[in-house]
Amino acid sequence: MPRTSENLPATPPRPLLKARTFQSMGTVISLTLPVATPGGNPPDDELAAAAAVVERLFRDLDQIFSLYRPDSEASRLARGDLSLRAASAAMRGRYEEAMAWRLRTEGAFTPERPDGVLDLSGLIKAHAIRESGTSLLALGRADWCLNAGGDVLVSGSPVPGSYEPWDAGIIDPLARGALLTGYPLGHGRGHEALATSGSAERGDHIWSAAASGSEFMQVSVLAKDIVTADVLATAIVAGGVPMLNRATDGWDVDVLAVRTDGRLLATPGFRAGVS
Amino acid sequence: MKARGAVSAALASAGILLAGWQAGVQIAEIRGSAASTSAGTDTGGTGATGASGSSDSSSQAGAPASGASGAAGSAGAAAAAAATYDGAMVPTRFGSVQVQITVKAGAITDVTALQLTDDDRKSIQISNRAAPLLRSEVLAAQSADVKSISGATVTSNAYLTSLQAAIDAANL
Repeated sequence: MPRTSENLPATPPRPLLKARTFQSMGTVISLTLPVATPGGNPPDDELAAAAAVVERLFRDLDQIFSLYRPDSEASRLARGDLSLRAASAAMRGRYEEAMAWRLRTEGAFTPERPDGVLDLSGLIKAHAIRESGTSLLALGRADWCLNAGGDVLVSGSPVPGSYEPWDAGIIDPLARGALLTGYPLGHGRGHEALATSGSAERGDHIWSAAASGSEFMQVSVLAKDIVTADVLATAIVAGGVPMLNRATDGWDVDVLAVRTDGRLLATPGFRAGVS
Repeated sequence: MKARGAVSAALASAGILLAGWQAGVQIAEIRGSAASTSAGTDTGGTGATGASGSSDSSSQAGAPASGASGAAGSAGAAAAAAATYDGAMVPTRFGSVQVQITVKAGAITDVTALQLTDDDRKSIQISNRAAPLLRSEVLAAQSADVKSISGATVTSNAYLTSLQAAIDAANL
């Protein structure tokens, strides 16, 4: 083949990924967008605007639902100062959604702590991610990756206009500085959401029916939407293998579960996505 | 559950088939073969077999369109005799599914799965159940190009030393 490299059209340079982070809900949220390459039109303002919208959404939800804020509506409900009947539409909407998930998971996911206090925090972060995604799309942002404390929702591609997936890594629970594996999000089977729950971290928000402990130290669920992924990951950690089988039978999800002895269980779809 | 998946796929296929059957009894009679399944009696009229109709269900398995084998011969017998109708091939998440229903006196008396195979003609895999996986099988995934990290919820403090923080720092 003759050397015509000088005449070849320059392949468009890969767009840079730019990230913005902020703290909310006790964790760190990262929004990553591809931006135009140097020489183009760097839409830094657009990234700032998009991040501001997401941050505002998380903060507003945290104001209502945080049990760490004594003045929040959730805290007033927990204290009994407020009845659910008199609660805001936002509160009742999430309560209804949480109860629906409790039914669907046959109790493996529940919005009530063992002491009876209503705690929707297991759902609110995923809800905030979902709402942020809707807002970003409404802003006209088609390509982004949103990570809230280890739960990931993506849209489009890191290379806009291409089919390149957003490669996400899954933490190795036995060595938290290392990755167990990775999965291409927004590609192939169309899983755009990845949520991971563990029995070791933040054990306070997963209440296993068997108080003796979970069969799984970590469960990652891939789904089309982040709420399904997050709720099922939590439910499987709490409900063990029976809940894992219910999840893979009843929802279009893929799962990677790490047993407490370190052995792995994965759905055929997960295996296919990794290889 | 395997049974649940198969049943729901069969019901979906049967539903489509039933709608088609209600709309097209006449067509079915035209296309149907002369094999009556009412009492195993052979009407002997097979010489008039339609182009796609057949009483042999296996020969229908590859046909993309609906076929039917019904009580041909006289139209009057159609109501009393049992007739079988092959549903359209319905693509599902698990592969192609085709069912055959037996109708007698206007009621479905039997539903049989004609095809439950995937594209490779292997037996259909209804289950998406998780199975053991070796770490070495997944370690092939490259971590170099990872854009985001999923793990059990990290606290704000833990974030500072997390892989996600390193990725974010590189993109700030």
